[in-house]
Amino acid sequence: MSDTLQNTVRVTDPIERIAHWLLAGSCLFCLFTGLGLMFRTWGFIPALLGGLYAAKWMHIFSGVVFAFALAYAFVMWKKDCAFETDDAKWIAQGGGYLWKTDNLPPVYKYNAGQKLFFWFVVVFGVLIVLSGLVMWNPLAFPVAVARWSYAIHALSALVIGSFFVVHLYLGTIGNPGTFQAMTTGRCSRAWCETHCPRWLADRDKGSPTT
Amino acid sequence: MEKTEYVKLIDTTKCTACRGCQVACKQWNEMPALRTRNLGSYQNPPDLQWNTWTLIRFQEYANKNGDFKWLFRKDGCMHCTEAACIKVCPSGALYHTEFGTVGINQKLCIGCKACVSACPFDVPRFNQETEKVYKCDLCYDRLKDGQQPACVLSCPTGALTIGTKEAMIETAYQRLDQLDGKGVVYGDKFVGGTHVMYILSEDPAVYDKLPVKPRVPASVILWKNLFKPFTLIGMGAVAGMAALHYLIKGPHEVHENKQGGE
Ligand code: SF4
Ligand code: SF4
Repeated sequence: MSDTLQNTVRVTDPIERIAHWLLAGSCLFCLFTGLGLMFRTWGFIPALLGGLYAAKWMHIFSGVVFAFALAYAFVMWKKDCAFETDDAKWIAQGGGYLWKTDNLPPVYKYNAGQKLFFWFVVVFGVLIVLSGLVMWNPLAFPVAVARWSYAIHALSALVIGSFFVVHLYLGTIGNPGTFQAMTTGRCSRAWCETHCPRWLADRDKGSPTT
Repeated sequence: MEKTEYVKLIDTTKCTACRGCQVACKQWNEMPALRTRNLGSYQNPPDLQWNTWTLIRFQEYANKNGDFKWLFRKDGCMHCTEAACIKVCPSGALYHTEFGTVGINQKLCIGCKACVSACPFDVPRFNQETEKVYKCDLCYDRLKDGQQPACVLSCPTGALTIGTKEAMIETAYQRLDQLDGKGVVYGDKFVGGTHVMYILSEDPAVYDKLPVKPRVPASVILWKNLFKPFTLIGMGAVAGMAALHYLIKGPHEVHENKQGGE
């Protein structure tokens, strides 16, 4: 497999990569400061950041960055991540990740797993942002709203945190050749043929090499 | 540490609403008085405040027969055994003392306000300026010194008393007998038992801002007993599955010139 420029395809543009890392960075920072706020055993994280009080404010500000990054990512990727009928078939076969399959439906830009991840992040991201806003000033809300916000915040963190681990694995060692999509933005042609064949075909027909 | 649980008993049937306790609390804890508004009641301030940890509530009440009664209830922290405030506090600012009461260390408080909405009795109060939460600590410093809380010491009628938990529960039910059963003991049957108990002359439902069945909110239990541990369990389990996948199935390699992927 050669990785020369001819044999690579630009799969993401710089704006996508910046948005991705802003979202990922703020999300991870929130995750780790959040763990530090929730678990005494993770107290070393707030300790490194100058104490729980400082960590609280960093968590809030990072959450604000996350909110904007999420809003941008939603607008940017919602079309690429819209479900199509073949996605059900892809899911039914575990995307070929779990057992041997021969007739996976060819993927356009993102496979059904990636789409699911995207929508989980959108839905639970919205929940975590809204509940976080309530937790910022719980006294301004009816007590039931304030109380449930804490539970919803923790549930969303659980979901996003767990999906993040899946995403990390599949975006790195689980799928060699994928990580470059979010660094240089170029993946090998063979990678594209494996992961987004229909998109590659369209691209080859339409636009010149980028 | 030797643990003797103390309970403060508030016998509302003996209370004359002199508010001596309210003043003694302020004085001992060096809390300032703030300007309040007259809302047409002797109740002042209108509610608990960061600087007012105990408050006599004045309530005009007419029972089913139309008999008028003036109800006085000394409000403040109930010092729960299953304390929602401690359960949610991320900093350890709220804690159980060796007396079973709930202490608060403002130095640790980060002003997250989680305890404010979690408390079933609506007790903790947030101070915007210091960004800390305040509430009654049942005069922890005085208890440690073998002294009664300031409010108990100040009470001229004997409505406030303090003693070991067993003794005070016994006292409460003895008093109920004296009242020919026309009263209610409040505090021993929920949230693991509170360390402040009432003898109420009326049904608990009658009183302003007194929950009939106080409990640690369901949202707090879900949050702390389920979602919290599952954050680590979930992330750990998924990481474990990813590792197994890598070992068993191996990475998903790219196939040259093959349409559709595997
Ligand atoms: S009454 Fe509220 S503040 Fe006091 S111990 Fe119970 S939960 Fe905590
Ligand atoms: S506001 Fe302070 S006392 Fe209340 S839960 Fe947060 S850190 Fe604890």
